[in-house]
Amino acid sequence: MTELETYQRGLLDLVKKRGPAPSDPYLRHVAASRELRIVQEIAVWWRLFQIEAQCHFTSLLLKRLGCFHDTVISYFNENHTSPFVEELSRGFLESLRTHDHALVRMVARFEFAFLEVRSGSSERYEILWDRHPDRLLYALHIGGELTEPEPGSVYRMRIAGDLLGMVECTRE
Amino acid sequence: MASVDANASSSSSLALATTYEGDDIALLESVVQLIDVIEISPDAIAQSDGKRASLRPEILDEYAAVASSVDFIAHGVGLSIGSFDRWEESYLRMLDELFERVELQWHSEHLASTVVAGENVGTMFPLPRTEQALDVVCERVRLLQERYRVPFLLEHVIQLLPDAPAEFSPAGFLNAITSRTGCSLILDAYNLECDVFNQGLDAMAFLDELDLRPVRELHLAGGVEHNGFYLDIHSGRTRSDTLALGLEIIRRAPDLRVVTFEFLKEAVKVLGHDNICAELKDVRRAIQ
Repeated sequence: MTELETYQRGLLDLVKKRGPAPSDPYLRHVAASRELRIVQEIAVWWRLFQIEAQCHFTSLLLKRLGCFHDTVISYFNENHTSPFVEELSRGFLESLRTHDHALVRMVARFEFAFLEVRSGSSERYEILWDRHPDRLLYALHIGGELTEPEPGSVYRMRIAGDLLGMVECTRE
Repeated sequence: MASVDANASSSSSLALATTYEGDDIALLESVVQLIDVIEISPDAIAQSDGKRASLRPEILDEYAAVASSVDFIAHGVGLSIGSFDRWEESYLRMLDELFERVELQWHSEHLASTVVAGENVGTMFPLPRTEQALDVVCERVRLLQERYRVPFLLEHVIQLLPDAPAEFSPAGFLNAITSRTGCSLILDAYNLECDVFNQGLDAMAFLDELDLRPVRELHLAGGVEHNGFYLDIHSGRTRSDTLALGLEIIRRAPDLRVVTFEFLKEAVKVLGHDNICAELKDVRRAIQ
């Protein structure tokens, strides 16, 4: 009989695709099962759904780059994820700070700041864009062509609760 | 209006309940005319600031606005009553808050673990039906019964992963919990259908073996089939087979009080208000 702790830790590792192959016979059976793939899919499906709803622009950009699904899977498998959408989104957006693609870093940082301030944070955030942020976000929203970087221009965006509309942006 | 009254005689009419998770006043106004009870999931109406979760006050206000027309029951997701190490204290704080704001007839939870060693598993693990798991659950049920002075109900979850080696049958495990703790049960007709389809459960044999006297609530829902499996994603209307199984449970369970049509908030757009209302009318007709 599998001990409760062994059973639950083992299933968690299998769902998150980590750890060595289990030695417990039942867990070995689960590891080879079609049902495990379904459970993994469902767990990720919920995270995809929540992140898509909460992190609108970042999700659209990652989809545009063809890596939304894989990015969420990696995040789920490699991190403790919260059942609360606010925390899940915060953690996901923070994880993109080191993303290879500069545009992903910018959009994720913008969305992180916006969600934080909207939920009452008194922090002030500053995001530097290499292109007009409004045009970029609009293009993402409507599925239009992404705007290109503007050499020599920097758009300094500030996001804070005491700003009119929470956001101001200047071109330098 | 039929009431939830746990002491009502078995001949009194069944109360009809449905899920409502807030942010849709039009839906609330429509369904409240068709039901007797609202099922509240504390997890689903909570928000977290990163330090602690709390219930969204604007949704509690929505419940307060219809409190003269309906009763309320709570149905949790995140207590993780079967985790080997500990349950989720954060869920209990949300439940405490809900009890302070809403008069609840009873509260319930899934017989599962959602957190393991402090990590959310992203799904629900059913419990292995062992003496060890039984001890863990029964002790926590006892603590819940001490903490809240209303009945506590447990709901069986679907068994999607291969069944673990067990010392009890599915019905036998539930019987052991109810006889040891005196807690009540929710039977979910759709979950049973999933187990029939996915695992080959014999639903009638399950019902024959189960002590149905503690069953107070019946869940109805519709779900999806995906890659050859029925999934408990409550996103559709109740299929006729599910309703037939539900009616069989109604026929057999002598102290059943509430029939709840469950749907996910995320499914409202797909289902539509009209469909939800039509479903509630159909279920009402069927259970009368």
